[in-house]
Order: sequence, then C-alpha cells, then structure tokens
Amino acid sequence: MSDEKSEGAQADPFALWRQWYEASEKAWGKAAADATDTEAYAALQGRMLESYLAFQKTARGMATAQLETMNLASRDDVARLGELILGLEEKVDQLMDELPRGRARARGPDSTTAKPTPTTRPAKPTGTTRPAKKRPARR
Amino acid sequence: MTAMRPASTPPAALPIADALWTSADRALELARIVEGAREVPVGQTPKELVWRKNKARLYRYTRTTPATRRTPVFLCLPLINRAYILDLRPGASFVEHLLAEGHEVFLLDWGVWGAEDRGIDITALVTRYLPRAIRAAAQTARRDVTLLGYCIGGVLAVCYLALQEDAPVRQLVLFTTPVDFADAGKFGMWTAKGVFPIERIREVYDVVPGELIGAGAKLLQGPLADVGALTQLAQRMSQPGFDPVAWQSMYRWINEGTPFPGAAYQQWIIEFYQENKLVRGTLRMDGRPVRLDAIRMPVLNVAAAADTIAPRPTTSAVLSRVSSTDREELIVQGGHVGIVVGRAAKRELWPKVTDWLRRHDG
Repeated sequence: MSDEKSEGAQADPFALWRQWYEASEKAWGKAAADATDTEAYAALQGRMLESYLAFQKTARGMATAQLETMNLASRDDVARLGELILGLEEKVDQLMDELPRGRARARGPDSTTAKPTPTTRPAKPTGTTRPAKKRPARR
Repeated sequence: MTAMRPASTPPAALPIADALWTSADRALELARIVEGAREVPVGQTPKELVWRKNKARLYRYTRTTPATRRTPVFLCLPLINRAYILDLRPGASFVEHLLAEGHEVFLLDWGVWGAEDRGIDITALVTRYLPRAIRAAAQTARRDVTLLGYCIGGVLAVCYLALQEDAPVRQLVLFTTPVDFADAGKFGMWTAKGVFPIERIREVYDVVPGELIGAGAKLLQGPLADVGALTQLAQRMSQPGFDPVAWQSMYRWINEGTPFPGAAYQQWIIEFYQENKLVRGTLRMDGRPVRLDAIRMPVLNVAAAADTIAPRPTTSAVLSRVSSTDREELIVQGGHVGIVVGRAAKRELWPKVTDWLRRHDG
C-alpha cells in the first residue's frame, strides 16, 4: 500500500516541479545573483541589448519604408500629429494659468500682489467611475 | 472547477493514474487562474475625475461619510507601473485604508503613454503636469494637501517641492523614493555610462516598452522569478481558503507595466542614475536649479529594508538633504512593492503612516 502511495507521489508532476524548483533555486539563485552583480555582466547585458536594438531599428525602418511606398501614414506621422495636439493642449493650459493673473491686473494695482487663484481645466463630467473590465489599450 | 473523476478509477487500485488525473485537473485550474489574471478587477474603490491633461488623470475617491482629517492626501504614483497598486482590491488597498482613517484622497494616475508622448521628459512632468494637478486637488478640497510620492512618483514630488516653495502642500511622505544614485545597486551598475545603450534606446523607441523595463526588474529577483510565482501558486492552490483573486491581482499588476516616454527615460537614466544630479545639486529644470534644501516642510521617508529596486542608500539620503526640522524615517521589513501592499503592509506600514498623518493633521 505504501509503495503504491509513493508511486503516486512520483507520478505527481506538481510535486516533481516543486522539487525541481526548490533544488534549482537553491543551486542557481545565489550563483545568478552574484553573477549579475558584476561589471562584466553589466557590459555583456549592454552588448546584448545593443544587438537587440540594432535588429529592432532595422525592422522598424523596413516597416516605415513599406508604409511610405504604399502612401500610408507611419507610426511616426501619427505621433507627430498627436504631438501637435498635445502642444495645443499645453497652450490652453498656459492661458488658463494666466487668466487669474490677468483678472487681478484688470482689477487694479493692489490686487496684482494677491496670490493667484489656482485654476484648473474642468474635467469632463464622468460621475463615479468603475474599473474597466477590459485591459486599456496600450496606444 | 475540478473536473469529474470517472467513478471507474478507484484511487487505491491505480495510484499513478489517480495522481496524474488529479494533476491534470490542477494544471487546468492553474492555467485558468493565470489566464484570468488579465481580466481580474482591480482599483475598485469608487472615484471621480477632477482634472486631466493628456493621459494623466487626477481622481478623487468617493467618501461615504464626511472627512474627519483636515489634510487631504495626494498620491503621486510611479510612471512605469499601473496606478492601481495602491488600490489593488478590497481589503488590500492603501486608498481604502486612508478613506477609513478619515482622509480625502486624490490619486494622480499618469496613464499609458503613447508614441506622441516621446518628447515628454521628467522636467515637463514636474513643471507642467504635477503643479496643475496639485493645484486642482487643493482647489477641490479647499485645503493644502499632504503629498505622498511612491518610487519615481516620489522623485517627481521632491523635484516639484524643491522648485516650488509656495506649493499648496503641507507635508511630504515618500515611499521607497530613490534620490541618491551613487550606490544604486544592480540597476546602477547595469545603467552605468559606457555600458547601457541609452542613446540607442532613445533612437529606437518613442516610448520605452514596459516589458523592457519590467524585464530588468524581474532580473533583479533572479532568473527563476516567474517560475517561482507559478510554483507558489501551484502550492497555494491546494490550501484551504486560497483566494485566487488575491494572487491574480498582484500577478496582473506585476505583468502590466506601462511604457516610459522616451525623453523622460533618457533624462531619468542620464541625469539621475548616471550623473546623480539631484543630490549633487546640479539638476536644473526649465533653467531653475532643483535644490533639495529648499524643502522645509515635515517629511516622512519610508524605506524598505530588502529593497533591490531602490536600495536603502538611494532612499535614505533625502533626509540629510532637505532643510526640514521635522523629518522622520520609517524602515519597513520587505521589498519595494511588498511593503505597500499585502498583509505586511496592512500590519507594518499603513497604520504607521496614518499615525504620522494624524500627528501632522493641520
């Protein structure tokens, strides 16, 4: 009976997985921690990252060239448009910041020394928000 | 959830088959829990939007009873993680704790940056986003606030207060906030000048992918960190009272990083990590020096004893640099994330922070 039980335990992949993890973590955890704490490792990681980035750059360049050939807007074109909109938003914010100071100046010289009233751009009324059920889009 | 075992398979007679069958059930259940983590509800405390700019959103959490503390708390979150870490799930939410302690709570969520945000740097966040958000909170609450920054959010808070002496802020609380990068542990070594290809990263990415930043953070935990998380799940699944949602919400947060705007990442690596300008007093934003000694308000600095992301030397330096006479450090056992969420946070950190806030409630 006990042999049967032990056979069962050996056939349990979760028990084997746990045994493997505990043994590996013990053996490799400290070694890996020490190895990654060296300047040699930092240099190696930097070189690996550099190679990966070189590949990424080539791949992205090819994708952009293809889009241009097909007369389609690239990611960069869309980003530039977005930047223009963000620039406009910042201008509006700056005007809103200036508004209380302008009002104070219009009221007279005494009021110009007053601390400006904080201004905020009104947020869109949303009411009470609830967490989104789906993951928000990345871009 | 467990699949039906055929009645014709007597466990005692066929132990190996039985063990394999049970394991298959458990493997399915494990896969279901991991897959379900992507959709698990997080950040459930009701809130309303009070200010927005670009992707950034300022929320005010809904109180069911009037606030009993006079000073609202403004939470400034890190750029590279989702903001719901401080409101992970009911029962594991710092926000919920602050509300229960009688505070008005505001949270600044930076959102998810896109390619159009590539030119946004740390300076823009400190001089154009944060001041407006804090003014909006102070105006909404009609009170100056307690500014609480977590990790990079704390760095932004410190820079903002160093620049803006008339800020509507009464006091500062920092959670695991690195300010001195002279001894920044492995991250410091990996991002060193001449080793880390920051210019190439900036060339390739408009926004640095969260996965790339997350990979670095995971490497700090060791090569088997991901396997360890699943092993822990497999072990805990069979324990009575196991709550999969607790595991899922944390797993979701760890694996749901956000991209870092390219210009902000470059400034973060070069000016903070490589040149350590903040504590050297050479950091300038919009042409103005960012001087930590310009901060004179009460400061509570919370450091994690086993923090590998922002090791103790990086976080403890702030107290010796500010001019505040009322300054305190709280060292909590745990790691960078563990101290702010989870059972230890509830026991060790949150009550001590709210006690400090109560003593400084104006």
